[in-house]
Amino acid sequence: MQNADVLIVGGGLVGCATAWHLARGGAQVVLVEAGDIGMGASGQNAGSLHFQLERRFLENGEALAEQAAQTAALNRLAIDDWRRLETELGADLHVVMDGGLMVAETAEQVAILERKVARENAQGINTRLLDGDEARTLAPCLSPGILAAGFLADEGHADARSVTRAFAQAAAASGASLHSRSPVTSASRIERHFEIGFRESTVRAERLVLACGAWTPILCAKLNLHMPLYPVALQMNATERTGPRIGHLIQHVGRRLSMKQTDAGNILIGGGWPARLASDPRGAFDPAGKPVLIPASLAGNLRAAIDTAPFVETLNLIRTWTGVTAISADQLPIVGEVPSMPGCWVAGGGSAFTLGPTFARLMAQAMVGTPTPELDIVSPARFEHLNSFMG
Amino acid sequence: MRIERRVERQAPFSIIVEGETLPAYPGETIAAVLIERSPTIGRTASGAARGMFCNMGTCSLCMVTLLPEGRRVRACLTPAEPGLEIGLG
Amino acid sequence: MAERYDLVIVGGGPAGQAAALALEGNGLAIGVIDEQLRPGGQILRQPPREFSVASWMTGKVYAPLLKQLRQFEAATGIDWLGGRSVLGLAPDAGHGFALTVSGRDGVETIRASRVLLATGCQDLAVPLPGWTLPGVYTAGGIQAFVKSQQIVPGNRIVMAGTHPLQLLIAAQIVASGGTVAAVLFAQKRRTMMRQLAGHALKAAREASALLPAGAAMALLQRHRVPVRYGESPVAILGKDRVESLRSTEREIACDAIGLCYGFVPQSALPRMAGADMIAGSRAGGWSTECDAWFRTSVAGLYAAGETTGVAGAAAARTAGTIAGTGIAIDFGLVSEEEATSRVSHARSERARHLEFADLLDTIADPSGHFPRIEAETIVCRCEDVPSATITPLLDGRSANAVKLASRCGMGLCQGRNCEPTLLRLLAGSGRTDEDNGFTARFPARPVMLGDLAAPK
Repeated sequence: MQNADVLIVGGGLVGCATAWHLARGGAQVVLVEAGDIGMGASGQNAGSLHFQLERRFLENGEALAEQAAQTAALNRLAIDDWRRLETELGADLHVVMDGGLMVAETAEQVAILERKVARENAQGINTRLLDGDEARTLAPCLSPGILAAGFLADEGHADARSVTRAFAQAAAASGASLHSRSPVTSASRIERHFEIGFRESTVRAERLVLACGAWTPILCAKLNLHMPLYPVALQMNATERTGPRIGHLIQHVGRRLSMKQTDAGNILIGGGWPARLASDPRGAFDPAGKPVLIPASLAGNLRAAIDTAPFVETLNLIRTWTGVTAISADQLPIVGEVPSMPGCWVAGGGSAFTLGPTFARLMAQAMVGTPTPELDIVSPARFEHLNSFMG
Repeated sequence: MRIERRVERQAPFSIIVEGETLPAYPGETIAAVLIERSPTIGRTASGAARGMFCNMGTCSLCMVTLLPEGRRVRACLTPAEPGLEIGLG
Repeated sequence: MAERYDLVIVGGGPAGQAAALALEGNGLAIGVIDEQLRPGGQILRQPPREFSVASWMTGKVYAPLLKQLRQFEAATGIDWLGGRSVLGLAPDAGHGFALTVSGRDGVETIRASRVLLATGCQDLAVPLPGWTLPGVYTAGGIQAFVKSQQIVPGNRIVMAGTHPLQLLIAAQIVASGGTVAAVLFAQKRRTMMRQLAGHALKAAREASALLPAGAAMALLQRHRVPVRYGESPVAILGKDRVESLRSTEREIACDAIGLCYGFVPQSALPRMAGADMIAGSRAGGWSTECDAWFRTSVAGLYAAGETTGVAGAAAARTAGTIAGTGIAIDFGLVSEEEATSRVSHARSERARHLEFADLLDTIADPSGHFPRIEAETIVCRCEDVPSATITPLLDGRSANAVKLASRCGMGLCQGRNCEPTLLRLLAGSGRTDEDNGFTARFPARPVMLGDLAAPK
């Protein structure tokens, strides 16, 4: 039996970044990852750094939009975290924060955009409303059909393929012990400790961090906890390389779309279009299975991209890939210590690329007793009622 | 080198490749027309000269652009047609 | 073209044709999709209709294949869907499959109750210093230019590798009036002869299959084309195009090179469909796993020919016949007993062809003969990834993880060229975990965004 201060399950962005912060602070950290580092949602997402209110928060009523706006404090921290990240990690992560445009094509969408900008400004997020021509002056790739855009100078994108790897390398260099291809075989809470088995080892730790995406609720179940995180499968697309055409992150207020150009020149097109989750023989969703692509999602996503930036129409699609992430019951992330099981921390449930470095930093701070009021809004405490019958 | 022995082709027509007029015979793929001109048909990601490789639609190294439309096709699978204009990018 | 077929066959080569012919006249709606405009597959890649080519593919071994091709072309009730690429296939709302297909007129969905994948094979891409220079082709690529487009793609061609097919290609070039500067076999002649002798008893029955190689040798000798053994390419030299090949023995001036290290199954579609795969031949790659009737592990999906393991056109043809007959069983058109007797000849023929294929696979085995890769040698041509980028990543992680970290396999070809190389590098680095290679992703071929956004 090996002892550690903190055991982290999940070698994604949040897990590796948390390992780095804790190890730098002198903690003994063991991280276990079922597959390879950064190969789950952290490596499969399209790398958007988005700080405007997401479309999904705007189409489900005012209450959710207002609640989501409360995460503005986290967004402000995340903007600073991303601006520092390449220097802190000493790695080229292709972080580009030249601004993001959330476009509108109809009068109705313009109205939503106006309310959204007002709400953001009230929270200290300095989105500006541009008319179509202003937007096209800034981003000439935009279609004449774009009537308006919300512009936020801090948005952008980063290379999802390298960020997690850089955190993992930094964590290892700081003394954290990272184990890839090490699925958790047992998890139990014994008095005030956790005992986690993987490969031929068992690690006993005072604190446990579950940051394994769609597997987090499965790990929680091993500890007799409900965690309302649900797997979702998304599909994303990459075009062949082309010359520099898109400098910004482009999103759409009324349609599912995120679009950006990578350092290599590929245009990445996503925006939350679903693929179909695999299921296991008993009919339950299987986050480990390869999701099945939905042709209508593909066509819809590409249509939205072409309508927004018509030049992409003649580019070749070279890859549509799927990834599995988790969303929470109320769409906001779940990050923090589980009140009914002190020492058990969870992090997941959306926006974990954009906000991941910040979640990790704040959790590490909170573990050493530094107040982190920004995390209150995403605390798992709001779902404690689910665990009131779990013993 | 077009094989002459035992082969009869129909009257050639012209296609335009990067502004250069090239003869093409009915039935020829764009790849065949290009390879008669030069083994180089574009540039790689890092800017090096790029040639075709598999000639069976698998490797996509022979991607060319049909102008003015902008559609990008595999030259080895696409027949040349009279008046076709091609960009090598 | 029908919107819905009982059976779609992907690939109009010997296996696909044979399967279609085995089912013809049963009243099934059958569509055969192929990337080429005309049927034939790579082995009988036909010249364009607009050409008139006298005495095309007259060799004796081609006769049964040609006969089948003409039967297939004459068959009524089989829809020929040439000039189309299958981008992907997926289960279709609980019944059969939906194939996403691109062609000149855009993207369309073709539905089928059952699908037979007869997608053939491709040349194993083998990296060496300078192999990305224009003028370096796969051996199959050169052969297709000669057979189909009636072009010799160079004035002075070197063939190099381990597969005896390069003798035939060199002979075809010479017979067409082209010049072959040399044919280089990496393996020693006496090794090849010993392997041949070791198989002699079995191979004697297949002697006819060796005749083309003998005839090719004779032709090459008459044209004083050097055929050398135990001589490997070390580097391909030139500024912006091939100027010479440096071998382990000498430097040979040339303007085109055909690399001939063997063939690997086309595996994009079965892998995308989630079919169980097994390691391919000695050259590498992945073969689709099938039962005795060429059913894959996916219900309603069949595979036949080289995509189930590279064994040559004659074997592929027998597989097509068996697969087609097996599909008839599954459609309830024939009893298993009747089907079994119908294919008994094909099965015994197939057994002979597989013996010869195994001999050829042994002789052509490229392992141990791959050219040395330098740090700057490109492994992934699409993304220009040199081996120096990959080497530090060989720390036990998976092929997918190396891909994500290095871009190796992220380009236009979806890793079809670099995957075997990467898997060799991973195996050579001592990785012991099973690695299924890259996850197959849609689309199997690049396709214009606009076509997908507005499918017909």
